[in-house]
Amino acid sequence: MQEPSVEFRRLHLLTFVHNVFLAIVGFAIAWTTSPESSIQRSSLIFSVIYVVIMGPISLAKYLRFRYYVTSEELVMHYGVFKRVRRNIPSDRVQNVAIERNFLARILGTAAVKIETAGTAQAEGVLSFVSVREANRIRDLLHTAKTAHTPEENTSTFPSFHLTLPRLLISSVYQFSLGLFAVLVGVLQQLELIGLIDIEGFTERILEEYLFEVTNSLPYTVATLIIALILITFILSWILGFVQNFIRYYNFYIELGPEKIHRKYGLITLREGALPYKRVQSFLIRSNPLMRLHDWYRIEMQTLGLESGERGFQPAIPFAKWSEIVTLGSKIRPFTVPEAYTRVSRRTIRRRCLRYTLFILALVAALYLWWPYAVWGLTLLPIMWGIACLQYLCHSWSFHDGNLFIRRRLFSQQLWVVPIERLQAFEINATFFQRRLDLCTLRVDTAGAGVLRHPKIIDMRRDDAEKLLTELYDVFQGHREQERRGN
Amino acid sequence: MKVLDPAVKSVWTIKSVLRWCILLPFSATADVALFFSDNNTFLPGLWTGLLIITCLVWTLIVPKLRYKYWRYELREEDLYAIRGIWNRVQTIVPLRRVQHLDVAQDLIEGNYDVARLVVHTAGTRSTDVVIPGLPYEEAVRLRDTVRDFVAEHMD
Repeated sequence: MQEPSVEFRRLHLLTFVHNVFLAIVGFAIAWTTSPESSIQRSSLIFSVIYVVIMGPISLAKYLRFRYYVTSEELVMHYGVFKRVRRNIPSDRVQNVAIERNFLARILGTAAVKIETAGTAQAEGVLSFVSVREANRIRDLLHTAKTAHTPEENTSTFPSFHLTLPRLLISSVYQFSLGLFAVLVGVLQQLELIGLIDIEGFTERILEEYLFEVTNSLPYTVATLIIALILITFILSWILGFVQNFIRYYNFYIELGPEKIHRKYGLITLREGALPYKRVQSFLIRSNPLMRLHDWYRIEMQTLGLESGERGFQPAIPFAKWSEIVTLGSKIRPFTVPEAYTRVSRRTIRRRCLRYTLFILALVAALYLWWPYAVWGLTLLPIMWGIACLQYLCHSWSFHDGNLFIRRRLFSQQLWVVPIERLQAFEINATFFQRRLDLCTLRVDTAGAGVLRHPKIIDMRRDDAEKLLTELYDVFQGHREQERRGN
Repeated sequence: MKVLDPAVKSVWTIKSVLRWCILLPFSATADVALFFSDNNTFLPGLWTGLLIITCLVWTLIVPKLRYKYWRYELREEDLYAIRGIWNRVQTIVPLRRVQHLDVAQDLIEGNYDVARLVVHTAGTRSTDVVIPGLPYEEAVRLRDTVRDFVAEHMD
């Protein structure tokens, strides 16, 4: 139990300030959101019980958590009820990320996350240390591998910096419906406790500028729907703008000799190094508007570094096509193919059938309650048009050891999948696809998302078989080369 | 290409019945409630009856079809599997990508002396390729072959 030669350290004292702050916020939310006084009383009682029990436990946790770092290893001792001693040898450390959120930046602290190759999640987390200590830990663990700090001689390595004007432009293209939903929820909650009066407020505005609410009903409903759509659109645009601005503020990426270094964020400052071999594939994204002005974003699919980004991390959040290709091909070599092959034209038939069935079912169900739902049938030609456009937007190319897949009409995707990174090959054919002699080709890379993964939908059967054989041959060839190299 | 052990049909049949039986308490409750209510539009016993019929039809058809379409083959450098009734899936798992292997067997499978071979890769979608209904010795033999291959080609 004794390691007298090295000095154990505790986390920063401000850990407490942070915990107390969070407790106060939680208490305030519990207090203000409970509308009746009896519920308020019980929430107060619960809070007191919580503080009495959790206070000593968090103190014990703080006292128990000790660590030390040498250039060989990181040792952590922690746990109140279950005591854990964890050693992470520094040659197994893949990435040391330093993260500073808003509170941490006020307090002058940082969180250090140490990731190893074994798992997708961070294996060692030091949630509160001073910034100097964080840098010391990172340097100690990094220097074990390379005795060189890349940030000092920046000019020699390829890099990209997202300047303020460009950040502003990029934010213009962003929408966030999710944030809008959150905003609506918060406003509702505030109205519930009587802080604001949305209903009265909107009614007043409507009456003052537009029309009497008691006016003829169909007109009012139509205007309201249009107003609602407009408000949703504008608010989610503003929210998307703010979110993008805050997240990618001062984005900087640099391709060092062994690792990719990135640093970005306005409120939460993220900083980390990523070894090249963790990059599995690329996803280049855009939308019709961005494409019109030649703007793209490139993401790296990795072995799930941050859970919030589902294994996709921005390499460049916003840049011209040429910049994307130049920097991307330095991370993993690829050359853009000149021509893509479209999937089978029969995909239009299948998509149309699917959309038609879906809309018919929906309209039929709604019709029982609301006869106007028949107008939903006007969506049919629109969806058929979309099906045709989707066919035009979906194509693939196997070029130079990479599989390129273009997909999606609105949030356009271009996958760049290096063949040697593939884990498994799959051909799927549903009942309808088999009748049209179609199938879906999927390839699997390590750590790819379940929902977002490279696939070619509705290829002709024999084309798919041919491509699969071709891919597999190249894959085997790569392995042979690797083996001979070793 | 190899087919599975026919005994797996019995295993799947038993499992299918057991799975449908999970719904039995719910349908029984609904029927009892119906029996004591004044609402006479539905016959008491309707839900349980429906459940039993669905269960029978499902159990008679699905395991047989699933067995019919299951094919697998351990080739020189990869594991190849085709299966699926509605959605026909063909998977190729290169043996070099195998992370680890399990031979699994539960009580029902043990009774029929069949086992599952679970092949784990680092990928996400086909992380675990499961070959069900192998005779136990066959599963162990497959596992050892793959294991030897992986060990031999470790760089």
